[in-house]
Amino acid sequence: MRLNKITLVMFVAFCAVFLFSYQGQAQKKGFDDNEIRIGQWGPQTGPAAPWGAVARGSKLLFDIVNEEGGIHGRKIRYFIRDDQYNPSQTMAGVRDLVDRQGVIAFVGGVGTAPGVAVQRYLRQNKIIWIGVCSGAKAFIEPHNPYLWNMWPTYDDDASVMAKFLVEKKKFKKIGMLYQNDDYGLDSMAGAKRRLKTYNMDLVAAVPCEPIERDLTSQIARLKAAGAEAVIGFVAPTQAAIALRNAVSVGFHPQWIHSYNLCDFYLMNHITDGLWAKEKVMTTAFTADITDMSIPLVKKYHDATKRLAPQERWAIFYAAGIVVAEPLVYALKKVGRNLSTEALKNELDKVTNFQGIGPKLTWTATNHRPPKALRIWQCGPKGEVIVLQDWTENELSAY
Amino acid sequence: MDMKRSYYEDIELFKSGVILFWTIVFLLVLFTFPLYMSDYALYLLNLIMVYVIVSVGLNILVGSTGQISLGHAGFFAIGAYATVLLMTNLQIPFFIAIIAAAFIAAFFGFILGLPALRLEGPYLTIATLAFGLAIMHVIGHTEFFGGRQGLMAPPLDLGIPQLGWSFVLSSETSKYYLVLIITILMVLFAINILKTKAGRAFVAIRDSDIAAEVIGINLTMYKTLSFAVSAFYAGIGGGLFAFVLGFFDPFTFNLILSIIFIVMIVVGGLGSVMGSITGAALITYLMYDLFKNVNEAPYVGPLFVAFSERWMTITGMDNFNYIALGLVMIGIMLFEPLGMFGAWIRIKKYWKTWPF
Repeated sequence: MRLNKITLVMFVAFCAVFLFSYQGQAQKKGFDDNEIRIGQWGPQTGPAAPWGAVARGSKLLFDIVNEEGGIHGRKIRYFIRDDQYNPSQTMAGVRDLVDRQGVIAFVGGVGTAPGVAVQRYLRQNKIIWIGVCSGAKAFIEPHNPYLWNMWPTYDDDASVMAKFLVEKKKFKKIGMLYQNDDYGLDSMAGAKRRLKTYNMDLVAAVPCEPIERDLTSQIARLKAAGAEAVIGFVAPTQAAIALRNAVSVGFHPQWIHSYNLCDFYLMNHITDGLWAKEKVMTTAFTADITDMSIPLVKKYHDATKRLAPQERWAIFYAAGIVVAEPLVYALKKVGRNLSTEALKNELDKVTNFQGIGPKLTWTATNHRPPKALRIWQCGPKGEVIVLQDWTENELSAY
Repeated sequence: MDMKRSYYEDIELFKSGVILFWTIVFLLVLFTFPLYMSDYALYLLNLIMVYVIVSVGLNILVGSTGQISLGHAGFFAIGAYATVLLMTNLQIPFFIAIIAAAFIAAFFGFILGLPALRLEGPYLTIATLAFGLAIMHVIGHTEFFGGRQGLMAPPLDLGIPQLGWSFVLSSETSKYYLVLIITILMVLFAINILKTKAGRAFVAIRDSDIAAEVIGINLTMYKTLSFAVSAFYAGIGGGLFAFVLGFFDPFTFNLILSIIFIVMIVVGGLGSVMGSITGAALITYLMYDLFKNVNEAPYVGPLFVAFSERWMTITGMDNFNYIALGLVMIGIMLFEPLGMFGAWIRIKKYWKTWPF
């Protein structure tokens, strides 16, 4: 009776589950005497590939550091893993880096879904993670002792916008075009809470889907509501389509979009210059990267020309530098006696640190992102006009 | 070579003692993997086994029954979401939840099987494609399913927590054993089903559905059954995938995934269980591992990167990954149209008559 034998083998095998269930091989240490290993994931291929520039931007800063002689005798070795914005690929890449290469920290990491997928794993393995590229709540609450946030929440973003529109620009009728998910809904909560303090409400809040390519009905609703200004929390493509639609029906409100759309060069390109013509505003949480009078901006810009001439000096690329700056700062502070705990302690002590990104302050119990944002406007030649400098959201929900 | 002298020989699970021996050796090797493999390798193996389950099921539909489905990511999603939602909302134990989820997927498979009675070829492809895409967007739109934000899998508890008996699998190793055992059972089930009345009916429908009907096979029943069984497999695979990954959002289950499933069985070999297994393993490895490390390889790495940056794109090696994946697929289709299983048959034949 063959089948009985098989059953027996299966039974023995099943017992093995209980016998062998132990933790896997110990992971590799994230550094040695000569190098510190740091990783990042990001979509280098696939539909989300334009955001992959973030991961390559971080490389620039690490290359600069290595050129200057490394950190306390150790060079930085940096790994990028392409995840195609697919959480199962992110998990594979992250496990590969933690298990096989051994990394002490991750910086950045584009996207909410890929980040949420690996958050639990990174926390369990005590891997330091700085500046996930997402403003989603999932990364802020509950407090994760190994994740330090840098990207402002969408709630804060919309709140600062609404305040600016009402107090500085004296708009009475504000509408909103939002993506129908947490990105849009979080921001709508922030905008509504702000407007409530002025006894106002959105005159129209119109959702759109990330795959929608026809926004005429949305624009018609905003126009019918008589919106003088429209807050936008949508993807770049939707923003471009919405703007074209609005202009074609003679609807010219003051558009203001989230910081995800502050690459004016790109937006002008995909709107055939309408972005500049309509004087679109966005929020922002970095220095103006085209302003060469800022020493750090000039330094990074020149380094790009020298070390990575194939890259376009743009906001996503610079965002990679922004997320890597605090790590380099903390590593320098730790000194020669490096360990995950020592690095964690230094990061917990970061106070008023500012590179080309926002001003950062973290404590052991507070790893929240900065609440301050700036407001930019697209000038006639696509240049940045700073309308309002760093402004903190005092109504922040976090 | 594969001559059968009686019906009972034909339905033997293992055709010879040699095959039985090597199967047991192979299984023992699988069971010792966690002793010397890293967590990363175990994660990859878990993914491979999840895809093995799905492609074995898909092969019953495509390879054995001759129908097509470009909507299997939909069933896969149903399996993942139903398992997790049953566990978190109704506190149903894992094993019951995953089986219930698979039956839910099978029910949807049955529904999708109905148009298959009238549609064929490209028309059926479009119908299943629409199903796969619709599932993704329905889930993405519905708050109950976690919307676009996705769902977090609960702790993988094999016991019944309500009775105070809980057995939580947290390590990668224990998950590996769970997935391995389920995969073995599902593969055995697939091998056996093809030797039953239902399995033979599937093959008859594939070869000629009119002839099959003439000899008394109920087309309505067996076509929908084939869809249901195939969806059941995808449901089980999805349920396990939820825990292997720990988190998933609707766009994980996109059209590309459905196509990848088809690629796995075509590369592996249509109509063969072993083909599905090798195909799933190869494609998963190519997608998730191949070339991902080349950047850091000594000597070769910098050379490749420099070549890529100079002549191709600034994203380094990552585009090579796709090119290599495509080349491997084209190569297999060109030189071995029966897939890897076809290659295996040829090798076997060659050695049977060696040295002549």
